[in-house]
Amino acid sequence: MITEVLWWIFAAGIVASAAGVVFSRSVIHSAIFLIVALAGVGAMYVFLQIEFLALVQFLIYGGAVTVLILLALMLTRTAAGTPRGVSLTGPHWPFALLVGSGLAAVLVGAATATVWPGDQGKPSLLPIGRVGERLFTDFGAAFIVVTAVLLVALVGAIIIARQEGSE
Amino acid sequence: MVPLENYVALSGILFALGVYAVLARRNAILVLMGIELMLNAVSLNFAAFASYLDPDRVTGAVFAVFVITVAAAEVGLALAIVIRLFRLRATSNVDEAAELKW
Repeated sequence: MITEVLWWIFAAGIVASAAGVVFSRSVIHSAIFLIVALAGVGAMYVFLQIEFLALVQFLIYGGAVTVLILLALMLTRTAAGTPRGVSLTGPHWPFALLVGSGLAAVLVGAATATVWPGDQGKPSLLPIGRVGERLFTDFGAAFIVVTAVLLVALVGAIIIARQEGSE
Repeated sequence: MVPLENYVALSGILFALGVYAVLARRNAILVLMGIELMLNAVSLNFAAFASYLDPDRVTGAVFAVFVITVAAAEVGLALAIVIRLFRLRATSNVDEAAELKW
């Protein structure tokens, strides 16, 4: 019972802060709302009893990604800030709103109308040890590939962002 | 307990909000935040299905870990491109960078 009440509070918080990210008029406010929304998704992993994902979510998204985004916002601000009258949202936003709300209606409708076969009714605890064991045995090849992807992407990011003619 | 449908519906709403941000916003970093919301919705969906439907429960969680890793790489690379664009054109508006060349 108390779990359900907490779940609804967190779900409402996630949707509200995600709406804040999407509709806010200030870029910085969007970034702050994004931190709240991503931390809320981390709380959802706690409700799903997948501890490892919750920890990864808080560390990678709550920490690293949002700091990166705030830093990029800081580096891409003009001296005058955003000029007055220039909206952050393009003139085509009603079309985007139509697509977004249509998609939301379809997805929510499909989710509530479908009976999922094999539904256990409630989540059961997934210990961190089991995830680590499988990650390094069955998913070992994929793990190695993804480390290479991460390395190449970050070296590429450094090369792209480097000042030219300053080595 | 909270049924599976609630998680799927929540991730559907998150995904749709991300789609709206990607389509409507003009600042490249705000578009990127929309993509982050969409990726989060996807990994929440993976985790929910793994937790409720899969007796093994590991596969969905590992898939979500890979999604998070690739998303982190993508954010680093995309922000580097945005910073480079800003240095060259003094703008981070995606409409002004539509020619796909320097």
